[in-house]
Parts: sequence; structure tokens; C-alpha cells
Amino acid sequence: MTIIRGCNFPDEFFYYPEKHLWLKSLGGNLFRVGLTPVAGKLAGGRLNAVTIRAKNIGVEVQQGKSLATLESSKYVGPVPAPITGVVKTANEKLATDPNLVISDPYGEGWVVEIEATRWTEEKDNLLTGPDGLATYQQKLEDAGISCD
Amino acid sequence: MADDKILIVMTSGPDTPRRCATPFFMATLAAAMDYEVAMFFTIDGTLLLKKGLAETIFPKEGGKSVGEFMKEAIEAGVKITACSASLELHGLTSNDLIPEAMIVGGASMWQMAEESKTVLSF
Repeated sequence: MTIIRGCNFPDEFFYYPEKHLWLKSLGGNLFRVGLTPVAGKLAGGRLNAVTIRAKNIGVEVQQGKSLATLESSKYVGPVPAPITGVVKTANEKLATDPNLVISDPYGEGWVVEIEATRWTEEKDNLLTGPDGLATYQQKLEDAGISCD
Repeated sequence: MADDKILIVMTSGPDTPRRCATPFFMATLAAAMDYEVAMFFTIDGTLLLKKGLAETIFPKEGGKSVGEFMKEAIEAGVKITACSASLELHGLTSNDLIPEAMIVGGASMWQMAEESKTVLSF
């Protein structure tokens, strides 16, 4: 785990920093997707709702298209697909407890699982490893964002 | 490319502050879901587009202003249109409105409604 500006980042994950998303490989082309603590911080630390688009389940979603929406008193916005792929599963627990995204971002607060269909072409758009986290750190510093 | 079009018709204005945030909130959410969203302001709704006015309206004491809700919607890509006849009703001209507002005739509302999958009215 690497701590950057007060935010925790598992070293082995991939990151889509535009919307502060993480991806964890589950083997093969399957990835679990969630939000980093940065997203929770920007949303004001408390969410009113996380709504996963039901129509996306079982179909291919293009990178950048909306997977879900976040609602808080400070923020309303999309959770875009960090990679192109078929949405296999949505975390149903978020319907009753959206704040799992903030209280347990890398555990029970995951959002969806996606089977990547363009991983080879798109993986270079994601950040990972020491170099990737250094780039993420620079982005957070440039934007003046911290989790403290 | 957007999935479908949504039209929100806004008739509520400064006299009913608590009716003025939700339409923008819903519009922002719809844009976040990849819908192409347009808002059509008419009757008193048009007054919200007057430069500087929405920033003075607070649906909840100590909360965000209507201007902040409107800014979020515009930043999310929501198209803002104003009924030309309602400008006349309130003695306004295009110069009185925020630059993002596009002035359209009443028939444009029908056209947008016809093209939209969902029409909401507030």
C-alpha cells in the first residue's frame, strides 16, 4: 500500500485518475472496479446514493461511458467505465449502503466487475506500479487534492 | 454519443425557491447517465436565467444556491433554452440572460419534446 497525500493506493492495482477509479485484476480479463479514497473526499465524505445502471449489466460498455452515478450533497456525477468491457456483476450492497464506497473503498465498496474486451489496447491509458503512482501523485499535487 | 434525449420543462421561478434546485439536480444526473439533456425555461422559470439572479436564491438556508446547481448542470453538458415569449412576459432581452441560454420559440419546445424519450415538467 502506498500513501499519497493522505490517500491509500494498493500497489498492485490499476488506476484511472480522471475520475479516481481503481481496477483490480481477478484473473483472465476480469477486473473489479471501484473508487479511490480521492473520489470519496471530493464527494464530501458522504454519499446519498450510488446507482449502477441496470441496463449495462451483461452488455459491453465503451471506455468513458457511464457505468453508475454518485450523488452527495457536494457532488453529482458519473462513474465512467475505465476500460471497455462487458459488465458482469454490480455490487448490490451499494443500493442499501452507498457509503461502503467511502468506508471500505478497496473491499466491500467495489462498484462493478468488468470483463475487459480491449485490454491490450487500453491498459496503457491506466496508471500502475511505482511510476504510475508517481504520475497520480503529480496529478493530485497539481490539483491541490489530498485526503487529509 | 448520448443514449437518449431528455427534456426538462422548467416553469418554477424565484417565488418558489424549493422548486428550483431539483430540476437542475435531475438534469445533471441524467447527463451523468449519458443522456442528452435539454432544459426549456418558460413562465417564471425564465427568470432563473437572468444574470446573477440564481446565485441569490437558496432552496435551503445555508445550502447551495440555485446558481450552483445550475452551474453543475451546465458543466455536465445540459443545454439551456429559454422561451422567447416568456422573455417578453418579464420585460427581458437576450442581453439580460446568462450567456449559456439559447433563446428559442415555443415551437422548439414541441420539437424537443417530440425528439425526447422522456419529458419532465417542474
